Amino acid sequence: MAFLVLRDVVKTFGAQAAVRGVSFEAEVGEFIVFVGPSGCGKSTLLRIIAGLEELSDGSVFIDGQDVTNIAPAERRVSMVFQSYALYPHMSVFQNMAFGLEMVRMPRVEIDRKVRETAQILQIESLLDRKPKQLSGGQRQRVAIGRAIVRSPKLFLFDEPLSNLDAELRTQMRVEIAKLHRSLGVTMVYVTHDQVEAMTLADRIVVLRDGLVEQVGSPSDLYDSPANTFVAGFIGSPKMNFFAGRVASVDGEGIALASSSLVDGKGRIAVRDASDLKPGDPVTFGIRPASFEIDDRKPLVEITADVMENLGGETQIYGKNTAGDQVVWLAQGRPNIEVGGKLRLGASNVYLFDSSGRSL
Amino acid sequence: MDRRIGRLLHIAGLVVVVVVTLFPFYWMVSSSFKAQTDLLANPPQWLFAPTLANYQAVYADGVLLGAVANSLIVAVFATILSVAFGAPAAYALARYSFRGKSDLWFWFISNRMITPVALALPIYIISRSVGLLDTYQVLVLVYITFNLPIVVWICTDQFKGIPHELEQAARLDGASQWTIFRRIYLPLGMPGVAVSAIFSFIFSWNELLYALVLINKTERKTAAVVATNYMSGYELPWGKIMATGTIIVLPVIVFSLIVSRHMVRGLTMGATK
Repeated sequence: MAFLVLRDVVKTFGAQAAVRGVSFEAEVGEFIVFVGPSGCGKSTLLRIIAGLEELSDGSVFIDGQDVTNIAPAERRVSMVFQSYALYPHMSVFQNMAFGLEMVRMPRVEIDRKVRETAQILQIESLLDRKPKQLSGGQRQRVAIGRAIVRSPKLFLFDEPLSNLDAELRTQMRVEIAKLHRSLGVTMVYVTHDQVEAMTLADRIVVLRDGLVEQVGSPSDLYDSPANTFVAGFIGSPKMNFFAGRVASVDGEGIALASSSLVDGKGRIAVRDASDLKPGDPVTFGIRPASFEIDDRKPLVEITADVMENLGGETQIYGKNTAGDQVVWLAQGRPNIEVGGKLRLGASNVYLFDSSGRSL
Repeated sequence: MDRRIGRLLHIAGLVVVVVVTLFPFYWMVSSSFKAQTDLLANPPQWLFAPTLANYQAVYADGVLLGAVANSLIVAVFATILSVAFGAPAAYALARYSFRGKSDLWFWFISNRMITPVALALPIYIISRSVGLLDTYQVLVLVYITFNLPIVVWICTDQFKGIPHELEQAARLDGASQWTIFRRIYLPLGMPGVAVSAIFSFIFSWNELLYALVLINKTERKTAAVVATNYMSGYELPWGKIMATGTIIVLPVIVFSLIVSRHMVRGLTMGATK
């Protein structure tokens, strides 16, 4: 049995279902990220694993033990809250020692463990301070320190970086990744930020409306999204989607008919076109970074609207003939003027059926 | 310019409030040190030769100090027990959802809506039949019933303001319900607990009706009851009345000053965000 197992987990609040049957497994030492838009049930799922939320149905196993009806403390999990939830009337030392006192660890050992942990997180000099005397980043470190000092089997992070500014967020992200490597403990991390998900995760669980949309490694999700939702959610800027119809199918791919395409038609390669027949409605997607200027075999033609110079890259917004908003992430600073017409080819095109499922 | 006028008005308003609230108090204390002639002088004597004669007279009566001790015993026990029962009840009301919670809450508060005099006779009869008349216990019990609503009301509100995540973090840390209450809620809710303790103490200290009805033995009478003794007879010994008043007020002030140390705002700062 895997280290962490969720089996048909359901959670309802009154008539509202927050989690509608999630099953999922994680191995020891894995870094799992739950990602999804707000209200998708990712935080609820995390709190279910922690034991802070009772299940409406299903079961949870940690390390081979059914913990569905077991108190949070006995699950040996630690959680870092979005709001940090430090005890404001206690010093940093006391905050970190609290959990150890609860298991009646001898004073000397508590002292040693807290100082050891503080050293790892470089907060030794803060041990005597109260939370209100700390900066956001320092509070974050203390919150993490409080979680790791208890040597839990499983770490849970609930959007831990969302209150930090951009620079600190990047820095803490790297530190959490390092921490995961050095501790080798299983971590479950909730975020709505797909960059955090992509950079931290061994595997990402994409959630929507209380259901799992796809589970896979960051590259899996990026390269082969299961549906339009995952394709749109993973990757920044968001994938461009266009509507079209299958014109014809042959061994190497399909011909598309779409008002979004140059001359209303184009050819794309498809792994398995056996389910398709001419006339089927489809959605095709192109990542902003896979566009390139191509006058010979262009797919779409756009009129440049807004240009954002990001330094090393330029983000170009435009509209095609069908009126779709199109984003192109170009390398460097291409010489383009507002109002200029651009003919773009694409190195990679994703195809989805009418229900949004990947083809 | 406008800001300076605003500031001036602000200060003037504060001075008015301070004078209005403190003047009677000043008048009582200063009168207690006046001789009878200075006391009755018209216009009032602002400067006078202070005398301890009134206090000596009160001491010579020999009743008041014992009565203050009685009041202290009753008020301290009533306050401690009210907070000891009320604060955990408030924690439960603030944090748990259970059937009948709002009814329970209303029941607590509605206890305070009853006019005390309506219950005086029933309580007298009950106390007599269980043999509690002329005891400290009966007053402590009665005062607890009057204090509990206040304690529960103030503390519930205070505890509700403590972020939920702190309780959840403590649960994950392995803290029991009682530990969470004692180590998280009580210290963080201290301002509310302190306010409710002060209210309880003041109420128990000043209560007159039940102390008058339920205690007959002179040596068990509380200070508030003894203070009314002067109202009988043909003379009004103002100096002794003022000295008695000053002595009675003193413990309340001392208690409030000690407890108000805990009435600090912003205790939960730094908990979240």
